[in-house]
Amino acid sequence: MTRRMMRSQNMRSFLSICLFAALFLVAGCGSSPVSTLPQTITGTGMNVQPVTVNLGPTGNYPNGIFTSVTVCAPGSTTNCQVVDNVLVDTGSFGLRVVGSSLGSLALTPETVNGNPLAECYAYLDGTFTWGPVQTADVQMAGEVASSVPVQVLDDAFSVIPSATCAGTPADTTAALGANGILGVGPVQYDCGSSCTGNIPAVDQYYQCSNAGCQVSSVPLNEQVQNPVSLFATDNNGVIVELPAITSPQATLSGSLVFGIGTQSNNGLGSATVVQMDPNFLTFSTSFESTNMTGSFIDSGSNALYFDSNDVQGCPDIDFYCPSSTTNFSASNSGSAGTASVHFSVFNADVLLSSGDAALPGLAGPSDGSFTSFDWGLPFFFGRNVYTSIEGKTAPGGTTPYWAYPQN
Amino acid sequence: MRIFVEKKSAQSAMWLAGIALLLLSIPLTASAELGGDATSVVADQARMKATLKTTQSEAYTVHEIQSPSGTVVREYISPAGKVFAVAWRGPFLPDLHQILGASFQPFTQAVQAQKRERPGRGPVVIQQEELVVKSAGHARNFFGKAYLPKMLPEGVREEEIR
Repeated sequence: MTRRMMRSQNMRSFLSICLFAALFLVAGCGSSPVSTLPQTITGTGMNVQPVTVNLGPTGNYPNGIFTSVTVCAPGSTTNCQVVDNVLVDTGSFGLRVVGSSLGSLALTPETVNGNPLAECYAYLDGTFTWGPVQTADVQMAGEVASSVPVQVLDDAFSVIPSATCAGTPADTTAALGANGILGVGPVQYDCGSSCTGNIPAVDQYYQCSNAGCQVSSVPLNEQVQNPVSLFATDNNGVIVELPAITSPQATLSGSLVFGIGTQSNNGLGSATVVQMDPNFLTFSTSFESTNMTGSFIDSGSNALYFDSNDVQGCPDIDFYCPSSTTNFSASNSGSAGTASVHFSVFNADVLLSSGDAALPGLAGPSDGSFTSFDWGLPFFFGRNVYTSIEGKTAPGGTTPYWAYPQN
Repeated sequence: MRIFVEKKSAQSAMWLAGIALLLLSIPLTASAELGGDATSVVADQARMKATLKTTQSEAYTVHEIQSPSGTVVREYISPAGKVFAVAWRGPFLPDLHQILGASFQPFTQAVQAQKRERPGRGPVVIQQEELVVKSAGHARNFFGKAYLPKMLPEGVREEEIR
């Protein structure tokens, strides 16, 4: 047993006692803050893309991490549009941009059987994005992904096939809370083999003609895909680097670093690798005596979402509102690798009433099944988080994995 | 073949031994909808290109529909033959419009009302007198449940729906 493990277990015991005591002493745990990890945030470099946590283009988005992406017509370095306020999402794959944010820039439509290809991308909240799939050269920092299929969000494109693409469209900046979503998660293709069969297993891609839009099979290389995986170098993953905060901040600056172990500025360092289940992109979080097997890390989730019988809920909203900031520990185990996490839960009513963008310890319940811990953006504050891409080679283990320095 | 058994109350351990376990495994493209009749499981065969298994227990019957994408939808049917709950888990979202049926629009309206209060991304929890929906996950890992509280058979707890 390493000293680190012993320390971690002692800490867990301490927390258990502390939590037990909290049942009797309303003051609760959390008087001693979670220790800050040593952290270096990479400043500049051809593989370093600035990111900012701010309220986004709608001015009311808590814990959204945004960046600017330069989108160019394929083959051009001058026929380009800078799209700002694009959400950085390690929980999805591929670039989706609101059509109007491209201005007059024309991209190259993808076709199947000569018909323009469109996508209906459904979200778990009953919203969906709709629009044509077009190829673009995507520039970030000094990196270029050439001829990447991206989704251009546009309600007015053809006719939305409402029988299979239903819900609330999120194709505008107002509805999306962003000018786009940059999916830099652990997979290259947004649908994969479930969309390549003659009869696709998933109704996601459509070929559109005058007769309307029909579900379509789409080969992998025509699917919307993670632009990072198409960079010439630094294409095996990303590091999200945001500083530690102990109170709400109006804005927070950090870096999205491309590549893992490919340059002098993106080595694993002290990060521990936790391999994910390649089918479900999950690991198991051990928390409060429960193994939550469907757990994941996701910069696009704006809070920590987990079920707990111990944390006090808020009176009016589905977040947690402990009477004082409370410290917890958990452990994440993958098919290989285990890494501990110490984290804090703040009172969400207090956080949200600040009106600030970067809210540490914002947390809320999941679906009540105690099967999943969603390590959303607060997990990233003060912790450089590595997301490697399936099928690529990266140091430290088989991809896809997440890695982070444990505390 | 995977066989699953519903866990019921304390009495169930004994009772399960005598349960009529009806296990079908037929290719099917089907799904019933929340609040609809159980017969629509078979009648509405147009869609899910799926395999159906049925398990019957004391208070309800469960249709487990496995789609080729790997996503499993479970539909809970009351003795009166109504779908009172659905649950899903798998790498792709099921067609929520289809499986929630008439409850889909109230669901999306409630989500939009919540988002006006606080934008952001994460799981959604809708708790209304007439409808409960919980939906969570991320790409390649979605799970959730929906049920009609007033149609829950006597003694059935929410935790059983999963």
